[in-house]
Amino acid sequence: MATFFGEVLSVYSRAVEEDDEDLDDENEDEQIHRAIEEKREVHIAWCPEVAQSLEGKLQCSELIIAVGTNAAGFLSAYVLNTESWDAVGHASLWNERSRGSSRQSIAPLPGEPACLFYRHRDNPAVLVCQSTCYIAEDQLFQWTEKVFGCLQKRGLSVMVLSDSPVAEYKTPDYLYGSAVPFLRSLKSSASKSQALCPALEQPNILTGLPAAVLSHCQVHQIPAVLYQCYTDVISPDSITMETYKPALLCLSKLVKLEPCLSADVLRKFAIITEAQSNLYT
Amino acid sequence: MSEYDRAITVFSPDGHLFQVEYAQEAVKKGSTAVGIRGKDIVVLGVEKKSVAKLQEERTVRKICALDDHVCMAFAGLTADARIVINRARVECQSHRLTVEDPVTVEYITRHIATLKQRYTQSNGRRPFGISALIVGFDYDGTPRLYQTDPSGTYHYIALHANAIGRSAKTVREFLEKNYTEESIATDNEAIKLAIKALLEVVQSGGKNIELAVIRRNQSLKLLESKEIETLVTEIEKEKEEEAEKKKQKKST
Repeated sequence: MATFFGEVLSVYSRAVEEDDEDLDDENEDEQIHRAIEEKREVHIAWCPEVAQSLEGKLQCSELIIAVGTNAAGFLSAYVLNTESWDAVGHASLWNERSRGSSRQSIAPLPGEPACLFYRHRDNPAVLVCQSTCYIAEDQLFQWTEKVFGCLQKRGLSVMVLSDSPVAEYKTPDYLYGSAVPFLRSLKSSASKSQALCPALEQPNILTGLPAAVLSHCQVHQIPAVLYQCYTDVISPDSITMETYKPALLCLSKLVKLEPCLSADVLRKFAIITEAQSNLYT
Repeated sequence: MSEYDRAITVFSPDGHLFQVEYAQEAVKKGSTAVGIRGKDIVVLGVEKKSVAKLQEERTVRKICALDDHVCMAFAGLTADARIVINRARVECQSHRLTVEDPVTVEYITRHIATLKQRYTQSNGRRPFGISALIVGFDYDGTPRLYQTDPSGTYHYIALHANAIGRSAKTVREFLEKNYTEESIATDNEAIKLAIKALLEVVQSGGKNIELAVIRRNQSLKLLESKEIETLVTEIEKEKEEEAEKKKQKKST
């Protein structure tokens, strides 16, 4: 076909043709799609004892998910530090930003971005999940379905702790420095508990794993509460971790917690990048 | 809002220069600095940041002399501070050569502030991300304390003391409550006030504080960590004695 400007374009005919060549092309496309899907699949690997009891579903009354380095650091310092927790599994996935988990069967190394599950020894119905790796949008649904598919829905309640940069918090008022970091909460309609901080105001929204989990809980009528911490520091920071303390009130009814942490222990979990950056003095 | 914060030379409809305001956020990322103007002494105290083990501590200096009789402490982007300090130092010497007199503290502050303001009105340049506390003595012997910020404004601190950087609000509130004529009556008292103000926000006590003083007709002197530790112990003892007195008052 000749265009107005004089160039010649090849045009595909819309007449239906039964050509063998087309099938081959389709096969190739299908193969590529399948390969990509396999690569991006989310694998949940449980430790042997848990895998056995998974013939039925895992008994779980409380699931606590921490998304982000500060939320994960808070749980490590205040909850997982008491040494009565067992690592029971991990989720491995691959996407452009989380390339580390190509080894599916081997547990991720400490310090690597990963998605880890812990269970309390004395109260095995309490599960903790720390997610510090990036989960892409197309993998969120899979992650949620696979994780919640392993848990018994009845009697389950979920708490999510998540980090977010304060630059993404939209408000008509000017945020003074002393207000940051701060918490905002969001609940599923099945949740009857009192939130310990103001609710997230419009037009702010949640994205990523916290949103996927909360949506799942809303659809399946699981009581869930989410605490989003807005902070102005991009690296793990002890002051940001301390902001999650109100959430401890709910947790302390279930498990024994570190009663009063010294600032030193918290700082241990805040990464050393703080000292090495001379950008601000 | 986001359409008006990309260029420095664009006002938003409600009159904000967002880049300048964001530069002030960069200042809040620097550690705290406090300045106290006494009768015969000016004091600058800063919170020392912990450095990596392999790094020489002295390379990260928040307090710098601009001339024999003027010095400044900054909070914010380290590299921007270096440029501003260099230009200020050159201007101090240039002034001495041209006018045959040392700069007044107000003059050099105005020079720094004008430099900063220029960068808020040029296309293609961003503002300096630092606030500075400039202290010194004029040639008539008066002690002065000024503050500049990224917008290029500067103000004279009539109230004897001010703070910039990360927890500046807390320190400022402390200074408003606790500065009195007596608290700066002697040199030692002024230094202790600076340390007390910093101890409000510094996490590990005396070893993370750096202090510099200028006395009339003397040049900048950095206090040694031993001296600071001694003063910190003195302050803690005074605090305990205060608490004891209050307890006794309550019981009687």
